[in-house]
This record gives sequence, C-alpha cells and structure tokens, in this order.
Amino acid sequence: MIIASVEPWIEAPLRRYVDDARARIALLLHPSGQVVAQAGFTRAVDVMTACALAAAVHATAGELGRQLDGRPFRALHHAGVEQQFHLAVTETARGAYICLTVFDQESSLGLVQMYFEELCRELAAAAPPLASLRAPALGLDFERDLNANLAAMFGREERG
Amino acid sequence: MSAPFGTVLETLTRQRGVRASLIVSESDGLVVDSNLRFGQDGARVAALAASMYRKARLSARAAHLGAVAFLQLDAERGRICAVGGRSDLVIVVVSDASANVGLIRVELLKALESLA
Repeated sequence: MIIASVEPWIEAPLRRYVDDARARIALLLHPSGQVVAQAGFTRAVDVMTACALAAAVHATAGELGRQLDGRPFRALHHAGVEQQFHLAVTETARGAYICLTVFDQESSLGLVQMYFEELCRELAAAAPPLASLRAPALGLDFERDLNANLAAMFGREERG
Repeated sequence: MSAPFGTVLETLTRQRGVRASLIVSESDGLVVDSNLRFGQDGARVAALAASMYRKARLSARAAHLGAVAFLQLDAERGRICAVGGRSDLVIVVVSDASANVGLIRVELLKALESLA
C-alpha cells in the first residue's frame, strides 16, 4: 500500500496502524482539512475530497456533541454495506489531527478502535514539539499549504 | 455486571482458572457483555478473539469442514476458548494455561445453548 506523509515522523506509526488494523484507506489531516498523511489513495483529487468531507463531518459531529453532551464527540463510526469508516481525533505535541480510516470485512470496528489507540500513543510519542503556534489556516495560506502537501505526497508540481 | 448475559458469564468465570468471559459481536469485534477480573482489557480481548473466530470460521468453510464447533488457542501464559452459534455472537473465555479445558468447553457449549 502506498503511504505518504508530509511529516516524516508520522509515516512509521501510520504504516503500522494500517497493517495491524487491516485498513483499506487511512488519512490523517488537520481539523482545517489540510492533509498530513495518507495511505491507500492513488489520486490527489481523492485525498483533497476526502479531507474536505472528513473535516466537515468532524466539525459537524463536534458541534452536535457540544450541543448534546457539552463537549465535542471524539469519534464517529459509520457502517456501509461493504465498507465502514471510523473518524477520530488524535492529540500530539503538534496539535490535534483527525484520522479517517476506511475498512471492510477484513477488519472490524473493535480492531480499528484498538489499533487507533496504539496509533494515538505512537504519534504522541513521536511528535516533535512545535517551534511556534500554527497560524489559523485560512484563505490563500490554506490553499497554498494544501497544494504543497498534496504535491509532497503525490510528487507533482505545486499548483497556483 | 450488566443484564442480559450476566448469569451465563458468571457461570463461566466461576470455573477454576478462568480470568475473563465475554460475549462479543463477531462482525464488529465489540464487547456485548463481559465478566472480567481486575486488569483485563475487555475491548482488546474482544477485538482479537472475534477476529480470530471469524478467520477460523471462514477457514473451516473454505476447507469444506463445516461450522466451527469450538476454538482453542493455547499460548505461553494463557488460553483463549471461543464458541459461536448461528447468530453474530461469540462467547469467549480467557483462562490460565493450566485450566481444565474440558470443563471450560462443556460450560461454553452449555452457555451457547442457553443463548440460542
């Protein structure tokens, strides 16, 4: 499986996670929707779409949690006929990341949840401290960073 | 312990050498109900045992051996036994390596009948 990461310290934990949990696809992104690492995608446009949708679903679920429970929901699972997805947050010294995992009958929600906990621990241990706080990802910066990340993972020229 | 499987699980956990008994969903690998001793990670056992049982069931079917009657994994420091029926539920027992597997098997099959 093709695994690509914008930040090298993510790659080994993500690879282990995908192998152990027998995931078909995994995506690590900032809550803003910028991709950080991916496993299993072959086209940049699919990554971009999945990131936008995952960030939106996460934001919606978070707000629902705040409305219902006073705090955001941390994880979400949705089961389709053949495939399922698990969307959850992992905290590191470099901030929070959203992890989208798509799996089928080769795996199960229990396995994904179990190995996701290990991924969280490994990412928290591997994350180098952030030199300075990230500026909010908005407008031009967002698009530039998004394109740079996609280019880094799929080996293409940056667009725009 | 919570209903409705409490009695079944309690009977299993009462056997000598049994550390934990669980009812898990084979397809999801999630705990439906459990009776665990202190220190046991039910979610982890459920996910791995369900995965193992599913693979065994598929392997038996692929080999034209029919349904899995009883699954036993002997490891250095313990043993996992599992039985499943026609439903998605699998009954799992984690025991010491020295536990009497014959008795555990009988109790597991009885438990399976009571769930049917």
